[in-house]
Amino acid sequence: MKKMLTLLVAIALGAVTPAMAETTLEKIARTGVLTIGARTGSPPFAFVDAQNQWVGFSIDLVEQLILPTLSKKVGKPVKLEKKESTPPTRIPLLASNAVDLIAETMTDTRSRRDSVDFSLTFFVTGAQFLVKKGSPIKGIKSIAGRRVAAQQGSTNARIIREQAPKAQLREFPDQPAAFQALAQGQVDTYTNDGIQLAGLKAKAPNPRGWEIVGDFYSYEPYGMALRKGDADFRGVVNNGLMEGIDSGKFFDIYEKWFGPKGELPYPMSPDIKKFMIYQAVPK
Amino acid sequence: MDFTVVAKNIDFLILQGLLGFGNFVGGTFRLAIPAIVLGFILGIFIGLARLARTPWIRIPAMVYVEFFRGVPLVMVIFWFWFIIPLLLRVPLPEYGVALTAFVVFEAAYLGEIVRAGIQSVARGQAEAAMSTGLTPAQTMGYVILPQALRNMIPALVTQFIVLFKDTSLASIIGYVDLTKAAEIVNNREIRPFELYLFIAVVYWLCTYSMSRYARYLERRLTPG
Amino acid sequence: MTYQFDWSVLWTGQSGEWLLQGILTTLGISTLAWLLAAALGTVSGALRTVPFAPLRALATCYVEFFRNVPLLVWMFFWYFAVPPLLPGPLQDWLFNHGAEFWAGMFALGVYHGARFSEMIRSGIQSIPKTQFEAALSTGLTTAQTYRFVIIPIALRLIIPPIANESLNLLKNSSVALTISVTELTFQTRQIETYTARAFEALTAGTVIYLALCLGIATLMTKIERRFALPGMIGRVASAEH
Repeated sequence: MKKMLTLLVAIALGAVTPAMAETTLEKIARTGVLTIGARTGSPPFAFVDAQNQWVGFSIDLVEQLILPTLSKKVGKPVKLEKKESTPPTRIPLLASNAVDLIAETMTDTRSRRDSVDFSLTFFVTGAQFLVKKGSPIKGIKSIAGRRVAAQQGSTNARIIREQAPKAQLREFPDQPAAFQALAQGQVDTYTNDGIQLAGLKAKAPNPRGWEIVGDFYSYEPYGMALRKGDADFRGVVNNGLMEGIDSGKFFDIYEKWFGPKGELPYPMSPDIKKFMIYQAVPK
Repeated sequence: MDFTVVAKNIDFLILQGLLGFGNFVGGTFRLAIPAIVLGFILGIFIGLARLARTPWIRIPAMVYVEFFRGVPLVMVIFWFWFIIPLLLRVPLPEYGVALTAFVVFEAAYLGEIVRAGIQSVARGQAEAAMSTGLTPAQTMGYVILPQALRNMIPALVTQFIVLFKDTSLASIIGYVDLTKAAEIVNNREIRPFELYLFIAVVYWLCTYSMSRYARYLERRLTPG
Repeated sequence: MTYQFDWSVLWTGQSGEWLLQGILTTLGISTLAWLLAAALGTVSGALRTVPFAPLRALATCYVEFFRNVPLLVWMFFWYFAVPPLLPGPLQDWLFNHGAEFWAGMFALGVYHGARFSEMIRSGIQSIPKTQFEAALSTGLTTAQTYRFVIIPIALRLIIPPIANESLNLLKNSSVALTISVTELTFQTRQIETYTARAFEALTAGTVIYLALCLGIATLMTKIERRFALPGMIGRVASAEH
């Protein structure tokens, strides 16, 4: 048994070196494919719509802003491939080369920066609570003893663990299962980033039966994650985003998903808009 | 209860989920059938290897079987999911990961069935066959294996059914099989009871007909 | 950028605690589920061999339905579809006392009970009919015959396949991670996400499962030897998964 394991690890180790020696840009130039990790149940960032198409804000950003820049950089058209990633799987997927870029709802944090790099911030939100209308839960101060659902591996789960140790935390591998548990009363509330809760609420069969409560108890800037130390690829991703912000295309895509006619109306505050513009450094 | 959700999404559930035609990489049958065939082929080799006289062949086969029978399939899937992209230089599609994981994992169980099946054939048979002048390979191919195969049909089909059901675990890595398809529809419609009941019935129809066919086969092949 | 192994992630921070908790949960859920499965399997396995047709049909329905649908689907079923059918206070109590654990336990127990049942049935049916008749002719009732003759013999015949199946139960408990049961695989992945160390975490999980399975297998072999009837061991094919 032990021998077998040693062997397995040795094979893995031996193979890691050549695979990693190639940068992401070289790999994309060789294969002509950019593989991203996205969610299937996080509207409107990445989800499967009623026509069973895999779409969303994060996916559009990659397709319309990053792909053109990337194609120019490697000198040939690059195809987009999507794989499902969830909070517990996204960092391993990235580390193992299964995907090149995580484009979903991943919060840029200092501790995550120990293991991956992030692009510019493309969305800003904060964590709140989704409850049935009339629930006594009003925010992070009132969840002691309550059953709280969160996504496994999310920043929210970590914060609840630290700041509200008396809450009964239940962690689910993905959002739909957590929401399901809330809908049926297995848990009293589901905590996630406010925007995702709003997305869930809007998609729910009975949106009015739900309430999003509490102040943001965390700051969640979304970034796209990529393998650590791959500065060239990161440069291309960031250039794509900055060019989009400069040309206004970024805001058009925002409008498509979060505008009054979008999937989830959520106007961009002037502060956030300024923040986005300031992120795009001069040419 | 409102089964219109099933009717509305029936094409996605059946075409995409069960058969694998659609925008996503998926399909329960597309995974289960090759996994059964390839797993059985690998299983025959492993079963034969476990009976080999040379320890160089017998012991690795034994370690293989004991290893994979000692870990949950979910773990094996995760291993392949993370290791294969490192071994090859190209990210492998979920299909490749899932298929490899199932073949490698199930071959350990199928190998045991093959071994038990071969051992169930009386020793005298082999000796009799050899004494008529057949080579060991011919004895295996014409005398032992056909009888062994008949003896192992019940266990084999049980294992195929297990494998068929196990393919639902591929949904964990995002392979859009029947279970994942139901999950995707449920993300949108939030109708778990109807959807999961529906796929339970579909799975049941598939596996139950497999076991009925096996019983029929068993009866037909049992001599006199 | 080469993958640097860092095994210390397994014992620094909360990892050690998580793994231990995971092992305990896995063992806990598996033990309870095993007891349930053994009870259901014995009863329904025996019922499938009785002369009274309606009882036989009932047991057959249970077995055919539960073992032919994937465990993952049953997990969702017991966790999401069953609680709403229970009375309010019971629901509340359950949700406050680890509903996911109990749902996972039932899913495992009922599913494997159906699979145990098949093995027990074939064990009973492999006992020659003459034994049964002989027992009856000594003046035992049908129930007594089962209790004192058929079941004790059948139990010994089915220990090898049941032992195998019990290990499957233990391994299948990993599927409960989908309904947020904090068992070993769940905790392995927890370490993975908190430390971004997939290889180390997966290796730890794999080694623990192997150790548990080998330990139990050894124990089972001992039990098998201890209760063996001379000349009767291993008559039922034991290769079933």
